Amino acid sequence: MVRRFRRRLRRRGIGLLHVYVAMLLLFLFLPLAVLILFSFSASGQLRFPITGLSLRWYQEAFGNSSVVSGIVASLEVAVATGIIVTLVGTLAATIVNRHRFRGAGVVTSLMLAPAALPGLVIGVALLNFYGDLHLTLSLATVVVGHVIYTLPYFYLVLSARLKRFDPMLEEAAADMGASGWQRFRRVVAPLISPAVIASAFVVLALSWDEFQVTFFTIGDQSTLPLVIWSRSRLSIDPSVNAIGTLMIAGSLLVVFFTRRFIADSYS
Amino acid sequence: MGIDQGVLTAALPRPRVAATRRRRWSLFLLLPVGVVITLGFVLPIALLFVKSFETSLGYGQVTGHLTLSSYITAVTSPLYRTLAVNTLEIGGIGTLLTLLLSFPLAYFIRFRLRRGQNTILLLIMISLFAGYIVKIFAWTTILGSYGLVNTGLERIGLISQPLGFLIFSKLAVLIVVTYLSIPVSVLILTGAMQNVDPGLLENARDLGASGLRTVTSVLVPLVMTGIVGSLAYGFIVISGDYVTPQLVGGTTGQMIGVAISDQFVNVGNEPLGSALSFLMLAVFAVLYFLLTRLEKFKGV
Repeated sequence: MVRRFRRRLRRRGIGLLHVYVAMLLLFLFLPLAVLILFSFSASGQLRFPITGLSLRWYQEAFGNSSVVSGIVASLEVAVATGIIVTLVGTLAATIVNRHRFRGAGVVTSLMLAPAALPGLVIGVALLNFYGDLHLTLSLATVVVGHVIYTLPYFYLVLSARLKRFDPMLEEAAADMGASGWQRFRRVVAPLISPAVIASAFVVLALSWDEFQVTFFTIGDQSTLPLVIWSRSRLSIDPSVNAIGTLMIAGSLLVVFFTRRFIADSYS
Repeated sequence: MGIDQGVLTAALPRPRVAATRRRRWSLFLLLPVGVVITLGFVLPIALLFVKSFETSLGYGQVTGHLTLSSYITAVTSPLYRTLAVNTLEIGGIGTLLTLLLSFPLAYFIRFRLRRGQNTILLLIMISLFAGYIVKIFAWTTILGSYGLVNTGLERIGLISQPLGFLIFSKLAVLIVVTYLSIPVSVLILTGAMQNVDPGLLENARDLGASGLRTVTSVLVPLVMTGIVGSLAYGFIVISGDYVTPQLVGGTTGQMIGVAISDQFVNVGNEPLGSALSFLMLAVFAVLYFLLTRLEKFKGV
């Protein structure tokens, strides 16, 4: 009797959890669904329920030079950030993970520190720094901010993978007489390159989406999130839904490329 | 001796020399990252700290006189006190809500799903990377006067006029910041739970502990690092947010980040903005210290 009751409770407990998870996922995706829905709305008002479908907001978005140049600027910044972070971060991660030596700890904690600060502080610190140097703000100053902001994540994601890398393989190569460069080129690089590529995609996704640091370091040329910001501040602008849907599509593409890696890191 | 001593020593490895050479080489290879961090992070933060002691002459001009006047203004002004209280309130409640909402999902992913873990993690990644500013904007469509919530409630006859407090209010900020920090929190907690053996939870159940008791006495102490990580992450991200309050906060939902941003972008009083930034970081440091005490928590 008691056991049956408990079993029933347990069954209900699981049931409740399922309901909860479904509701939380709904909560996470509802705003995105609403945004995508309204991007196809025929009406100029963001009112429920939507009346009629059209592609006019996409036409408006693509017909607008600021949106197109925003896409280009965002891509430029993301690619530049991705290349710099990949080069600098891979060197740092491989060195720190393989050779423990004095100073490595300092380098690591300084590299990870930006992840523990709000983007706001990194942003105003850079703005203040550029001001002191009398630098003109441009996409290059944005890239510096993105490099600082994304490097910790690149480092963390890559290091987690490098820990599984067997150092004996490289030592074996050394015993066979391979030089430092040969060991890197023939042994280390092929082993770590999938992890490096996956980490680089994480950087691309973070940079493509970055707003908080960018806001303070941007010059005349806006990235896509900044275009959305200025448009949604001025008035109710339904074309923001279309631009937002494009941003989601961009991020989806990146996540799609990294999906196998996500599976690995949680197993 | 038949063997030439010189040949023998040459054939032996010389670890110390090799190690020194390797260390020098390693340090050299770390140079790029050192330069990037110094120029892009350490120096800017140090200069921001110096700036917080300088005196503003308005319009972005400062004198080199070092004073504490910006800190005094920051601490004594009623405006910044109100904003600080607001920030602590939204940050505190938002962080706890984030943890409470994320924990069951992480638990579900780790212990209840037999298949499809990766699919659900992928969904969370998608929602995470969908775009910060995009997500905030999307909420204005949901919470607005003619948004999904108000229209829905009117349709079923619960209200006759739109609920004004849903948007441009503290509540709106709280909803959006919690929404924004859930995905990372779920990822942190799921990661922490990966190391927990499901057998331990089963043992607790077999010994007669209720489901809730199993979670609070067995699972929570085991994933305390993840919980502390989620709380620390949530509080930093939420309290440092200066965008959400501007887009959905109205007059009642403003936070200290907006004031800091204003000092640099609109007012041109960098010393005050810097002082406010470092006061915020000091609060973070104290709270983080208190949080790490939590890691010693052994369950109830």
